[in-house]
Amino acid sequence: MNRFALAAVGLATTFAQPVSADDVKVGLLLPFSGVYASLGNDIEAGFRLGLEEFGADSGATFEVISEDTEVKPPVALAKAKKLILQDQVDVMAGIVSSGVLGALRDVVHAAEVPLIVANAGNDDATGKACSPWITRLSFSNQQVNRPMGSWLHEQGVQKVFTLAPDYAAGHQMIDGFVQGFTDAGGEIVGQEYTPFRKTQDFGPYLAKAKASGADAVYVFYAGGEAISFVKQYDSFGLKADLPLYGAGFLTSPLYVNAEGPAAVGIVAALHYVPTIDSDVNRAFVSAFEEKTGRIPSEYAVHGYDTARAVAEAVKAGAMDRASLGNALRQVSFEGPRGQLSIDPATNNLIQPIYVYETVAADDGLTQKVLAQLPASADPANGCMLSAVVN
Amino acid sequence: MFRHTTFRYLVLAILGAGALFQAFSAGYFGLEVLIEILILAILVLALDMVAGFGGMVSLCHGALMGLGAYAYAMLSSIVGLPPLAALVGAMAIVGALAWIIGAICARSHGIYFIMATLAFGQMAYSYIFQTPIFGGDDGMGGITRPDLSAIGIDLNDSRSFALFCLAGLVLAYLAAVAVLRSGLGRSLCGIHHSEERMRALGLTVWRVKADIFGLSGLITGFAGALAAMHVMYISPGLLDWTVSGEALVVVILGGLGTLVGPLVGAVAFVILKHELSAVTPYWHLVVGVVLIVVVLSRANGIFGWLEARIGARRIFPTHAAVKKVPNDA
Amino acid sequence: MNADVGFWILQSLNALQLSMLLFLLSIGLTVIFGLMHFVNLAHGSLYAVGAYVAAAIATGWGYWAGFFLAPVAVAATGIVLYLGLIRKMRRSGPMAQVLVTFGLIFVLLDLTRILWGDLPLAIETPALLQGRINILGIDYPAYRLFVIVLGLAIFAALAFILGRTQVGAMIRAGVDNDAMAACLGINVERLFFTVFCIGCALAGLAGAVAAPLLSVAPDMGLQILIPTLIVIVIGGLGSLKGAIAGSLIYGIVQTFGAVIAPQMASVLIYALLAAVLVIRPMGLFPTKG
Repeated sequence: MNRFALAAVGLATTFAQPVSADDVKVGLLLPFSGVYASLGNDIEAGFRLGLEEFGADSGATFEVISEDTEVKPPVALAKAKKLILQDQVDVMAGIVSSGVLGALRDVVHAAEVPLIVANAGNDDATGKACSPWITRLSFSNQQVNRPMGSWLHEQGVQKVFTLAPDYAAGHQMIDGFVQGFTDAGGEIVGQEYTPFRKTQDFGPYLAKAKASGADAVYVFYAGGEAISFVKQYDSFGLKADLPLYGAGFLTSPLYVNAEGPAAVGIVAALHYVPTIDSDVNRAFVSAFEEKTGRIPSEYAVHGYDTARAVAEAVKAGAMDRASLGNALRQVSFEGPRGQLSIDPATNNLIQPIYVYETVAADDGLTQKVLAQLPASADPANGCMLSAVVN
Repeated sequence: MFRHTTFRYLVLAILGAGALFQAFSAGYFGLEVLIEILILAILVLALDMVAGFGGMVSLCHGALMGLGAYAYAMLSSIVGLPPLAALVGAMAIVGALAWIIGAICARSHGIYFIMATLAFGQMAYSYIFQTPIFGGDDGMGGITRPDLSAIGIDLNDSRSFALFCLAGLVLAYLAAVAVLRSGLGRSLCGIHHSEERMRALGLTVWRVKADIFGLSGLITGFAGALAAMHVMYISPGLLDWTVSGEALVVVILGGLGTLVGPLVGAVAFVILKHELSAVTPYWHLVVGVVLIVVVLSRANGIFGWLEARIGARRIFPTHAAVKKVPNDA
Repeated sequence: MNADVGFWILQSLNALQLSMLLFLLSIGLTVIFGLMHFVNLAHGSLYAVGAYVAAAIATGWGYWAGFFLAPVAVAATGIVLYLGLIRKMRRSGPMAQVLVTFGLIFVLLDLTRILWGDLPLAIETPALLQGRINILGIDYPAYRLFVIVLGLAIFAALAFILGRTQVGAMIRAGVDNDAMAACLGINVERLFFTVFCIGCALAGLAGAVAAPLLSVAPDMGLQILIPTLIVIVIGGLGSLKGAIAGSLIYGIVQTFGAVIAPQMASVLIYALLAAVLVIRPMGLFPTKG
């Protein structure tokens, strides 16, 4: 039996040579069904656009193989193994949920295939569970929230009540904010975590927030929960006395129109909003709009920048897994989000954070950028990566 | 009561041969699919024991399997037991929990039984999801497979692991057959036919139900531990009630109360799922339609249909004839 | 910690609001079960269809058009399901019914995705019900009060119909013993059909009512299904009294659980359900022994 297995492995390795020397195979692992399907679609649209714009310039041709993870770790793992072992991809990208990322981490690390994380924000992925093969071009949960903590304190907010869904990302987002806020001298007067995707009525928590004596409420909610939360917050009339702040996923362009007027006035922090005032961003927004008919969300920009990073790495001469993995750690460019670079200590993206307010415009809701907070690297937090080989 | 017919042996032989052929010839993804089928097959065997032979339609078997995976992970990586001991421990834990659930739910029937098992499954899901030591929504990784290098097998190789799972499935099948043929299994079938009659005969009905549920839990725990070894990573999604629902779908798709049928169902379901999801993100729609058609067709799933068709010919003893024997006895 | 009365009144209203929303959903499911012994797991999906239809209509003709048309549309869906599937499934066991309706969940979920996409939709609160009303010394959102009043009104109407009218007597007779009711000259088939349609219409209404409170997303039917099943199993399948009692218990446990013991909030209700099933395997108010 073992002899047979070995023979098969040998056979597979012979096939491992790329068909043509200038062909780069990219495996996309994204959810196209399940709760995060809309995120997967936006990331893929951004990725395809990015490849169109930057791919030709890199001197290589690209073959993209998309696989649906269904947001289920076992499914994602099987698909990842298919991409790595059968399709022999040179680089993988995608991953929306941190659970899926957790499942893939060891496999990717052991197989030595570069993986670009295009959404999942788990701090540990570029912290204690970091890998030289995993580079993140999206965000980390604490990165988005930490600078918002000190900014909010600067605005004169002293006492804050926090709310988030009760799962890892919820805790990390809030912990990041709390750290920034308390370091700046603020006080947390109460914290609640609501059952994740099982909470229909936020009323009980809102009443607690109101009774807590806080100056403001800081929350993290995303997707359908964000819509319910924002609407219910508004219906209780809390916005006037108790301003609502949060991680910017709360009023993401993907959902904000469903929230309607209830979202107006909410101030939130995020690494990308479509109204960032730069030429690069304006070009991206109009190209994306032309292609898909919608305004790009932060998820679309993850896909776009991921494609750009792959193209940049190839342009720098990387062709196979090892050289791509190494080159991806050194990419640096000005994207729609501003100047981006990879932190060599953790492989996490270093990027500016934008504080924005959702405001009403003639044709719906838009984002008014209030401040651009400087880019800063996350603490290494137990991550010990070897230095980049040049 | 469960009985092998020539036809059943034939189907088992075909399935076994197919699995072996796939194990030795398939590419990497093919092996992943095979392992998925094998683990699902063990789960649905356990479910068919209670649902098909005892009429206990459980909507918590997915959760039990998830608990098996978590128990294996905790015992092997946190407590530090060797993987094979952790496997046995996980089976024992899930078996004991299943026995308790079976004992509590034994008084409920029909839809109440379904709902009661659902409640326990959801309780387990919420507990795992909310307890930090289990890693919450992000799950936990770093799970190891048993080390069988002493006998020259490297389980980290997908092919060896597939064969390991196949051996596990054979054992689980033999165990299920042995249980159903034992006095306990016969009592269960008697209860399924008429609970009052068996009670009048002096049988402690709830004990029989709980015992079978516990034994089914042992096998489910085994499937769960294998699932944890396979993915080497676990998350609360394993315990979701839709997993239990899908397991029931597989049992029905294959043929309820035939043991062989659910195996056929597992093969059909996984292949259908993979083929469809490659074509369309709306593959659930097709699965739903297939399920509705199968149930409406009144045939007892794919295998039941085949058995009624092919089994009716002279060369094989008919299913109906086989069924009559215990009734006359 | 939160000693003031207003806080607890507010939370009680929250509990009542959640209860009424669940009541609208569970009453249809439970009466269909009581009368037809039919378990419809796709009831939650009908609720989602109601919410989607309401959202689609509301964008064109405003909230109230959606509010009144969504139940009609869902009842129409129910008629199609009844004639195509459910009539044939009536005499099958609970397992076949659970599975067919489980399949329906898949089908309806993907159909809503194909028709309306993966992005969540939402409806604005109607102008009439925006803002807040001062009640018992606290400001409470008008729309939430509307949900409470609507739930209570429908409860009262159903209690009257079931308890005081001839149709109600026929339904009760059908629940008790459908064969006997048929012998007495009641057209049981037509009765079933009517009740099924009304049950579906109520699910659609619940969807339309929930839409301005929540987001309208493809998986909303799956999310609400488990709470609804808990409600009717705690209350006891088949009875109006059971549905209202179960809804109130669920709403109170969820709301005050979230206030007093947030860490326990989601386990609490399952533990309660298990306890009820152990002590009273048929729920608190079963229709028959």
